[in-house]
Amino acid sequence: MIIGRHYINEKTLVPKVVIGTLIMIVAIFPVFTTNIVTLSTIILSGIWAVAVMGFLLILRTGQFSLGQAAFMAIGGYVSAILTVRMGVPYWPSFLAAGIISGVIAFIIGIVVLRAGGIYFSIITIAFGEMVRIVAMNWESVTQGASGILTRAPDPIMMGNFEINFAAGAVPYYYFMLLLVTISALFYWQIDRTRIGGTFRSVAANPVLAEHLGINLMKYRLIAFTAAGVFTGLAGAYYVTFLSVMNPLIFDLWKSVQIMMMTIVGGMGSIVGGPIIGATLLYTLGIYLSRLPIPNIQYLVFGGVVVLLLLVLPKGTGLVDQWGKLWRWVFGEPEDFQMPEEAGMDEE
Amino acid sequence: MPPAGIWVDGLVQSCIYITMAFGMVLVFSILGILNWTHGQFYMLGGFVVYYAVTAAGIPFPLSLLVSGVVVGGLGMLVEKVVIERLTSPGYGILSVTAATNALIFFFEGAAGMGFGLMNKGMATVLPGVLDMGSFSISYQKIAVIIFTLVVMVAMYIVLNRTKVGKAIRATSQEPDAASLYGVNVKWVRVIVMGIGCALAAMAGGVIGIVQSVNPFMGRVPMIMSLLAVVIGGLGSLTGAIVGGIMLGLLNSVIAYSISYYSEVALFMLVIILLLIRPQGLFGAAPK
Repeated sequence: MIIGRHYINEKTLVPKVVIGTLIMIVAIFPVFTTNIVTLSTIILSGIWAVAVMGFLLILRTGQFSLGQAAFMAIGGYVSAILTVRMGVPYWPSFLAAGIISGVIAFIIGIVVLRAGGIYFSIITIAFGEMVRIVAMNWESVTQGASGILTRAPDPIMMGNFEINFAAGAVPYYYFMLLLVTISALFYWQIDRTRIGGTFRSVAANPVLAEHLGINLMKYRLIAFTAAGVFTGLAGAYYVTFLSVMNPLIFDLWKSVQIMMMTIVGGMGSIVGGPIIGATLLYTLGIYLSRLPIPNIQYLVFGGVVVLLLLVLPKGTGLVDQWGKLWRWVFGEPEDFQMPEEAGMDEE
Repeated sequence: MPPAGIWVDGLVQSCIYITMAFGMVLVFSILGILNWTHGQFYMLGGFVVYYAVTAAGIPFPLSLLVSGVVVGGLGMLVEKVVIERLTSPGYGILSVTAATNALIFFFEGAAGMGFGLMNKGMATVLPGVLDMGSFSISYQKIAVIIFTLVVMVAMYIVLNRTKVGKAIRATSQEPDAASLYGVNVKWVRVIVMGIGCALAAMAGGVIGIVQSVNPFMGRVPMIMSLLAVVIGGLGSLTGAIVGGIMLGLLNSVIAYSISYYSEVALFMLVIILLLIRPQGLFGAAPK
């Protein structure tokens, strides 16, 4: 290889072009189709991706929470109740949904993060069920099982240009992109900096980490609260798009689904894995539900997930296969030697 | 004080939770995983009993055994095909958790396709009530309670008096040492999964005569028996009995006086118990 300054680095050129093209396609996607079904599938899978990223951030500290859908429910209810029943404008209540969900995550986290491993998962299941039962029965506030019809977001004025959410799915699509981008940048920034490394050390060996002076509770709480904020926002936006909020939208099985999306998508990358897993599984679920035979969607969905888990190499998800796929399509890079110790991280 | 009928209903619920929790405890202590698909084996057992009784005309006690054998075999197959691979070294606990959760959807979809979504009742099995003066108990509920007692005794005998039971207990304590002494640990895992699923299936069959059978009947009992196992202490059969009785009675007796808050109280109790005593009531302290 010629030593010198390369304005075009041939090694990273192709990946950059591919990723750039993908981003371009995603950014101008409504140009190709404004079909409401296609767009809504993408919008909802994007929202799930945000929730899945939160799950993965908590997982980075070694805890796995099966109550993430409860935070989506809290976010959804806060925004629905504030806008519809108390007449607060949409955007402040959207932010309030994230903040309140984060505050609740913080309070719950202080109490329950002491428990580790499977006990934490069971406690989060219990928490999620409690949220569902309260939402179902506290009729004076949540209107019980009949649910609340949510309001469309207020139009945003940008100079003379008005973004009107009542017009169709396209504004929702772009706002979903914004939400995914912001949360992805946030999670990615956490994950790649020192705090992400601390999360990993807390997960890998809590005793050693504690002896090194790391406050385990503090880092678990940071992860849980950060995930709570963005999961709450995701929930608020989800019910806004669905235009109804009831206790059955976010039940335990949605938390389970979040977990499956995480595992299938892969835990190697905090942004790539969730996006791939959520998009793939959610789209699969939607397309299967159109099959004419009732119930076949559950059968195929479960079967596909189990098969994927069996077929994928040990403990990896789809995103971790990226490098392998790359080498398979483009061949081995010629002037690249894998250093001896590289790629041996515990993750 | 709630009427006696409520107590009996609570006891019947408890019996089902206990039988399912036994299977979960066994599977956990040998395989080291929580079997999230347990409720679906319960559901499949209910369907097997339903079709055995109504379509094939097999007597009810015998059809319970049939469901145990059929669904136990299915559980063994699941262990061999899915769980054995996903619990081998290198996989995290999450892979197998996700896989058993995915099997929930798989089996529910299969049952929905094969058997339909309607409730299927077996009220014709064991009709009649036992008059106890101030209240009466139907024979069906008595059957559930007797069934659970039989299961408890059988489990005690199998685990303490037979060679298989000794192998199971040895494997749960020290898998490596057990295999040195000639226990085929892989087979013990398969057998234990079979026993666990057979217990769940028979519980589903016996509750099918009290309630009814549908593809989604397994979800709530699965969560409840999971909670029973956890508050009783993972790996403890005594704990499973105590946890099952607590949750079953809470669900009915306390619900009688404070309606839906009882469910909140139930989950609250689970959370508080786990925070005070994470290893559960009868569990060994974590190493």
